[in-house]
Amino acid sequence: MFSFTKEQKVFDISGLTIGGQPGMYPTVLFGGLFFKGEPDFDDAKRHLQTSYEHSKRTGVPVIPDFFIRKVEYIEPILSFIEKVVPKKHPFSIDIIEPSIKIQTLEQLGSRKLLPRTIYNSIHIGMTKEENDALRTYTPEAAIVVAFNPKDKSPDGKIEVLENGAHLLEFGLLDIARRIGIEKLLIDTAALAPGENSGAAIAALPVIKEEYGLPTGCAIHNVVEKSRWLNDFPFAKKTVDVASNNAIPLFGGDYAIFGPIENVELVVPLIAWQDILVSEYTENYFGISPVASHPRRKLLK
Amino acid sequence: MTDDYYPWGGEFAICSRQGCVAVVILNVQYTPPPSVAIYGPLRTENIGIEKIIANTISNPWIRFLVLCGEDIRGHRSGSSLIALHKNGIDSNHRIIHAPGAIPYIENLKEEAIKRFQTQLSIIDLIGEKEKEKIDAVIGECIKKSPQSFGEPYIAIRLKPQTTVTLTDNRALHSKIIIDYLGKVKKRGA
Repeated sequence: MFSFTKEQKVFDISGLTIGGQPGMYPTVLFGGLFFKGEPDFDDAKRHLQTSYEHSKRTGVPVIPDFFIRKVEYIEPILSFIEKVVPKKHPFSIDIIEPSIKIQTLEQLGSRKLLPRTIYNSIHIGMTKEENDALRTYTPEAAIVVAFNPKDKSPDGKIEVLENGAHLLEFGLLDIARRIGIEKLLIDTAALAPGENSGAAIAALPVIKEEYGLPTGCAIHNVVEKSRWLNDFPFAKKTVDVASNNAIPLFGGDYAIFGPIENVELVVPLIAWQDILVSEYTENYFGISPVASHPRRKLLK
Repeated sequence: MTDDYYPWGGEFAICSRQGCVAVVILNVQYTPPPSVAIYGPLRTENIGIEKIIANTISNPWIRFLVLCGEDIRGHRSGSSLIALHKNGIDSNHRIIHAPGAIPYIENLKEEAIKRFQTQLSIIDLIGEKEKEKIDAVIGECIKKSPQSFGEPYIAIRLKPQTTVTLTDNRALHSKIIIDYLGKVKKRGA
């Protein structure tokens, strides 16, 4: 458990607080919706309600991360957000195809949803058109993925944030700030086993000490790509959920934990881990947890 | 798995040692016949492609690369692999005209890419999901019984197992110092 010398930034994103010294604010969770098949809005509504109930009980915030796979899903998913996600709550949009990203940004702008939007994500593959669209339709916050295909170590991740690692003219942080996004969440880019998967965790304290920005990752992706775990079906989900523990333990601020179906397992796990971290960091570093922290909510 | 013929471990399956066909399985449930040399999935348009190049040019008997199934949404890994074979990479190591999101080749020399372009012919069956049709195309390739391309090209060598003796007191990473309580400081600051 760590405390950082570098001043740690704390962002308010549409009422949600993220960042700071370990033990101060609860770890923020991102739960994914609509990864596969046709969007099932009834199912999604149920999972969102469960998420918000669990957040309320534990203090661990859950942000819905909407995966938009096809152009024809943009309109119904954004309408769903308007109707079902509580007003003023933040959400993130997770899109791979640049053209769908651009169209979604336009619609988020026209629906006045940008002040609640966390853009997932800015990375080295960003096109000029996407950059232009972001300047016109600027989201409140963005996840910046420190993926460097040449160097998967923490140094390589910093290089891509700092100077673009010779793949881009500028570093990703500079690019995001030139667009006008100040609330940046760094994603340490968890890669498959065999691709220095551990670097995503080791990079958490390194990057937080370097930039003081909220930092996290989708460490569960490493579990998903650990095909050998298919031979242990009873254990696979436990490993998937438990992998998220490493993030707060190494000083991280948020976990992108995969399908929101796992929210009932991940939220108590993270609440437990946050309490563990808070007890130590308050004792040794004098970091007092905020009123909404699981330690305050659950330990009476 | 890893193998002498295939230096970069991964999810692939090895079949015939002197088979002339490698099969890239995109979004489809399909098992190629045992007469192919190697087959496996492709997911990402960067490291995934690099692995395929390294693990095909290492076996000079492989002369055909068959891509089948629906392309990977967003990543467009199959189409990016075809773009690489056709166009190569630019000065930033980006695959020229690749439709994928992050199509960069960073871990292979240009020489390896040139070898890939000359040793292998691409058989583009992207979109094809019917086993009979894919099997038939693979069968036609095998019937041509092409010659070996010559010597193997080892594009990448995984580091051998080593024992590292830590002689300094670095904890976690060289950029930071963590004291015994857990306080993190930038090294040299």
